[in-house]
Amino acid sequence: MSTNTNTSTNMIPVPRPSIAVRMADWGRTFARQWQLQSMVIPGVIFMIIFNFIPIYGLTIAFKNYSVISGIGGSTWNGLENFKIILKDKYFWESVTNTFGISAIKLSVGFVLPVILAVLIFELKWIPFKKIIQTITYLPHFLSWIILGGMIITWMSSHGMINDMLGIIGIDTATNHMLDAHKYWAIAALSDVWKEAGWGTILYLATMSKIDPTYYEAAEIDGASKLRKIWSITIPNLGNILCLNLILSVSGLFNSNLDQTLVLMNSQNQPSAEVINSYVYKVGLTQGDFAYATAVGLGVSVISVILLVVTNLITKKLNDNQSVL
Amino acid sequence: MKLRRIVGVALAAILTLTTFTACGGSKADGGGGKLPDATYELDSTKAAWEIDDSKDNKLTWYVNAEWWNKKYGEDFVTKQVKKDLNLDIEFIVGDDTKLNTYFASGDIPDIVTIFDPNMEVARTADKWAYSLQDLADKYDPYFYEVAREDTLNWYKLGNGKTYGYPNYSNTAEDYDSGQVPARDCFIIRQDVQDAIGPQDFTTPDGFVKGMQAIKTQFPDLIPFGFNDFSGATSSLGNVVQDMLGVAITTDDDKYYDRNLDEDYLTWLSAFRQVHSDGNISDDSFTDDSNAFKEKVASGQYATIMMGSNVNNGNSLQTWLAENPDKEYIAVDAIQSTKGKKPTLSQAGISGWMINYISNTTKNPAKAIQVFTYLLSDYGEILTNFGIEGETFTREGDTITWTPEAAEVQSGNPEEWQLDYRIGEFITFGHDRFKALNQASYVKAVWQQQEWGQQYLTPQFKVENIAPDPGTAEARALTAITTNWNTTLVGLIRAKDDAEFDKMVEDYKAFLEDNSIKEINAIRDANIAKNLKKLGK
Repeated sequence: MSTNTNTSTNMIPVPRPSIAVRMADWGRTFARQWQLQSMVIPGVIFMIIFNFIPIYGLTIAFKNYSVISGIGGSTWNGLENFKIILKDKYFWESVTNTFGISAIKLSVGFVLPVILAVLIFELKWIPFKKIIQTITYLPHFLSWIILGGMIITWMSSHGMINDMLGIIGIDTATNHMLDAHKYWAIAALSDVWKEAGWGTILYLATMSKIDPTYYEAAEIDGASKLRKIWSITIPNLGNILCLNLILSVSGLFNSNLDQTLVLMNSQNQPSAEVINSYVYKVGLTQGDFAYATAVGLGVSVISVILLVVTNLITKKLNDNQSVL
Repeated sequence: MKLRRIVGVALAAILTLTTFTACGGSKADGGGGKLPDATYELDSTKAAWEIDDSKDNKLTWYVNAEWWNKKYGEDFVTKQVKKDLNLDIEFIVGDDTKLNTYFASGDIPDIVTIFDPNMEVARTADKWAYSLQDLADKYDPYFYEVAREDTLNWYKLGNGKTYGYPNYSNTAEDYDSGQVPARDCFIIRQDVQDAIGPQDFTTPDGFVKGMQAIKTQFPDLIPFGFNDFSGATSSLGNVVQDMLGVAITTDDDKYYDRNLDEDYLTWLSAFRQVHSDGNISDDSFTDDSNAFKEKVASGQYATIMMGSNVNNGNSLQTWLAENPDKEYIAVDAIQSTKGKKPTLSQAGISGWMINYISNTTKNPAKAIQVFTYLLSDYGEILTNFGIEGETFTREGDTITWTPEAAEVQSGNPEEWQLDYRIGEFITFGHDRFKALNQASYVKAVWQQQEWGQQYLTPQFKVENIAPDPGTAEARALTAITTNWNTTLVGLIRAKDDAEFDKMVEDYKAFLEDNSIKEINAIRDANIAKNLKKLGK
């Protein structure tokens, strides 16, 4: 999170040198740093091959794509694919679901790791702290295929959830996975549960860098524990909180494919189908690649817009400094 | 800033160049090159692999499934293939994405095996594959002796040539022969059957009552079970429709919507009653195939509408082995209220895995020899039973495992699968060979197969009649299928008849809103094409 990105703003305005002069300057600087620059090259090549060249494939979103004719040989059809998307009921259903589930995830899943991190940070007995950390990290390492199976069992008519409800006097034999209106909560909260522990890592790392003299000073001034958390710990997390927020908001339209494929069934589908699973279904299982690509492209564009907007907002809140 | 722009432009230029060079690779062109002459004398009475003595042949073979065993030449079966054909095969496995990458690059493996005859790759095979007739004429006329005419005709493309050849392609003859086993049936646990006394599961009312009787006597069992739903209709869709003998087309060979058949809806309504009596577990709608298999293997269902007992053979056998007096047996049930006979289905004429020879192969002669070899009786016996004397003995048309082989099969499934690979190398397999050995199937399904044998009825004319992927109709059909999968479960879980009826009406309205007329027109046209191919 460096803050010294913009040195040029401090320079006294001078007439700009000609292109040739600046190119030569650039060349000299480059030559001087060639060892450093050459270390960058493999990364750049990797990016070009695996991230930039595939962008070419996006053109099939504007084509009548045929596997046999290939990307180059397929005929263009303009915005036809996008027009169909706008009329597709299931697409809009998947957008609503993605947005709904992500919104719950964002509101609960953003705050919870911070609270958890603060709690872990405040634990002073190291062995207990380690145990708590390991336990909360654990679900992160289970794949959704396994976890999904567990959740389906827990939610089934004689599963753990109903057993627990039975203990507090609510006797029910419903299978919760069949209730469409419960799905958003199940999906979002199970994901938060799985990832909350893992999400504390960045916060804990940042907290460990906070100068302990702050706390000592606060103690001398008679600050309570909560006051110290509120006035020292949280402000010091500022940058990393902003970064996480930007990433989470730009990820609003990202959905969890693994989770959806495991938890979705024909009854909860109306509230379970998310954009990713829809693209997967249309593109891979139905072989409608052009249409699926168009959906994916549209979603990417919206995500980029969200990313830029949140960045602008947090920049404003953060004394005009971007954390990206 | 300007500097950045220059770098940006340069980068973009590099990108564009690399992109075009990267994707400008050769494309599979129509028809392929001219076939080179055979290096051996042709003999139509003898398979070419017996004549061709060329050495060091090598082919690449792509199978569009991750589960395919890529090993070659290390097990009983492929060791023999390697020896007989003087051939090394390099297997490549993958999914649709990998397959498409091959086609995009134009660098297609010599043999390609896919699963979906409706795939674009299959429908445009003339652009990238050699026709089997051309290859057979040029290198291996004996191919016509081992390939089946009906199957070749079925896979003919518009130009009258066949490019792909499937395994398990059943012809009308196979259906009549008794060598193709029936696989769907209604089964009940023997001890339950004995305890509840005579019940009539064949009528809707009797079925509802029968389930109640089971619940009273066996409160711990789930009275009625069925296959997992997993994004489709379990065994309560096509399988129940087949049990009821619902027509597959109208009398004048037009598409018939079996989901809205009166008989079928009557039975769904009965299932609704069973569910509302608490005799269908809601968990059956969320269980995946593993959960279903586990429940079968532990006998948790009193009765099951079983779709494919062969696929669930291990579970049924596990249950039987531990509870010999409680085995699942097939009985008459779920029958038409209009007196129609069941019309049980099996693999159709389209088969399952479809094999192609790409027109970029360097060794087309060897490739067609592989087809002939594996399709011949010799090849089929080898892949299904191994080597005579070592893994099986044969008396006439009856094949029995040798004691050692039988021991490995029952005691060490992994060794059987990997080191023996018997019954695993199935790209050209066919059920009629399996029928030579009763032990091809687990004992638990023998009675069930026998029960259904008389009801097997082909459904060839409605195979692959869906609209082409990527068309507006295909998208609409996807929406309809999705809606039906939801509706079907909704119907069974409906609280009362009024809710049930409303759902049916909603579904009908949904059909109207999603271009069902256009879809059905395509289906009708495809049925007509199928009938032509079947020579009717």
